[in-house]
Amino acid sequence: MKHLIHTLNKAFDNRVRLGVMAVLMANESVSFNELKEALDLTDGNLASHVSALEKVGYVLVSKQFVGKKPNTTYQASKEGKAAFQDHLAALEKLLRG
Amino acid sequence: MKPATDPLAQLTEIRAIMERSSRFLSLSGLSGVGAGVVALAGAGVGHWYLHTQYGAQAFLHLVEGSAAERRAALPFLLALAVGMIGLALAVAFFFTHRRAAQEGRTLWDAPARRLMLSLALPLGAGGLFCLGLYLRGAASFVVPGLLLFYGLALLNASKYTLDEIRLLGLTQMALGLVAMLLPGWALIFFALGFGLGHIGYGLLMYNRYERAPRPTL
Repeated sequence: MKHLIHTLNKAFDNRVRLGVMAVLMANESVSFNELKEALDLTDGNLASHVSALEKVGYVLVSKQFVGKKPNTTYQASKEGKAAFQDHLAALEKLLRG
Repeated sequence: MKPATDPLAQLTEIRAIMERSSRFLSLSGLSGVGAGVVALAGAGVGHWYLHTQYGAQAFLHLVEGSAAERRAALPFLLALAVGMIGLALAVAFFFTHRRAAQEGRTLWDAPARRLMLSLALPLGAGGLFCLGLYLRGAASFVVPGLLLFYGLALLNASKYTLDEIRLLGLTQMALGLVAMLLPGWALIFFALGFGLGHIGYGLLMYNRYERAPRPTL
């Protein structure tokens, strides 16, 4: 059983990061506020986890301005989607034992 | 936050987040029942008014009559339509707001906005098109057109909400197409689609999701 646990992706061992990826899998492109709303988080908490996902290349960030307000949207990268699918498969494998 | 280590809990949570973030799930079945009752009442009022104005063959009279006669009936029909839409929306908002509050969800989130937009665009265009049909002498196509466009709008919006909405949309589309073949039965089809269709699917949704405790998946 122990070796199976190690197949789980370290980037997803946190609920917030897993949640961010889940939202980005279900939606093409999501703004910071939508993400915050969907996961019911504070700005700081979400920002740190999103930037962790960005660093490993799972999340693509694009910044635009709507008028004077900055609007940041996030997308799951190809690698991020694949890693998330692998993570789900590993979880299912764990369940089946 | 604690790391979720239990794989079942993780999978359950992932699934819930994916559903919740892409679909508006707080839509209450009672909204449908309310909208259906409003539609039946509206059909009744329309029937009563047209009969007192134009007699037993009122509908045919309007369909086959002159453009001037149709224009004369327009203010009443438009007021009835706007009143019905307003009342139905208010009832739908009330029950859906109540359900969202009971479940501790926000009513106006991103999926809700997408749902409203994907409904409003085809409905707005369809409504104007049907107004055009009425004024340009193709009044017998108004009710089939309304049912068809409403069905298409629901079909379009169903990807952002409960699956039953897709079936409701297909039902309205089928009724619209059959209504086109039976122009004398327009009011019956209106009551069937907007009235009984809403009530039936509303009760189905209510029974499935709201009466019993909601399944967590």
